[in-house]
Amino acid sequence: MILLLAILVGLLVGAVRAWIGKRSFLIPDLHATWLVLIAFIPQWGAFYLPITRRLITTEFAAVALVSSQAILLLFAWFNRKHSAFWMLGLGLILNLTVIILNGGLMPISRETLTKLKLDAPITDWQLGSRVGNSKDILLSPAQTRLGWLSDRFVLPSWFPYKAAFSLGDLLIALGAVWLLWKSGGPKLNKLPNQSLLS
Amino acid sequence: MKSQLFNMSVKASRLNQQHVRAALAIGTLILFVLGAGAPYTGNH
Repeated sequence: MILLLAILVGLLVGAVRAWIGKRSFLIPDLHATWLVLIAFIPQWGAFYLPITRRLITTEFAAVALVSSQAILLLFAWFNRKHSAFWMLGLGLILNLTVIILNGGLMPISRETLTKLKLDAPITDWQLGSRVGNSKDILLSPAQTRLGWLSDRFVLPSWFPYKAAFSLGDLLIALGAVWLLWKSGGPKLNKLPNQSLLS
Repeated sequence: MKSQLFNMSVKASRLNQQHVRAALAIGTLILFVLGAGAPYTGNH
């Protein structure tokens, strides 16, 4: 949900920028959007749909995540003419790298989970196991490869939402805001295949 | 009168098409961001 917040912020700032400049809010048409749909299906089953995510094994979840993100990387490449996709793609590469190097799931440490002050007791989870039905795997900092790319940052305590995120997540959020911010900016070459939202 | 109505219908259909395109683009961006990101939110 924290990444959806970035899209909401992006839509807001992009629309306000367009309104101030008396322009249309034009979101660029994206290429190969069907790839995103195909990529999201395995993740939907493994992490989002309550009925299936409980039944799926850690191994299958890892395969679903890696294969899905590899397809998303292809989508980012197809849309590289939009500068924001370089940031979105870089964030995805960082996440995918640390995920692959740590067995197919995003590593998170017990220390980070403690900082989140969750209601559920974190002592129940064993090292090396998937954290609930999430994309995360509980690993000690010593076990984690490229720990600086893992879910190690937490939102400030005053924020009304608890989340741990990675450097890759941060770049993805910034990339989404950037894409939507640019959609409200001046159009140097107004392309005929842009989507209007005003 | 006839051509005016025709022009209005063309304009309306274009607007609808553009809105559908915008909704598709936002939907695609949402799915991309959810799929590419891996934050832990404690809701799982």
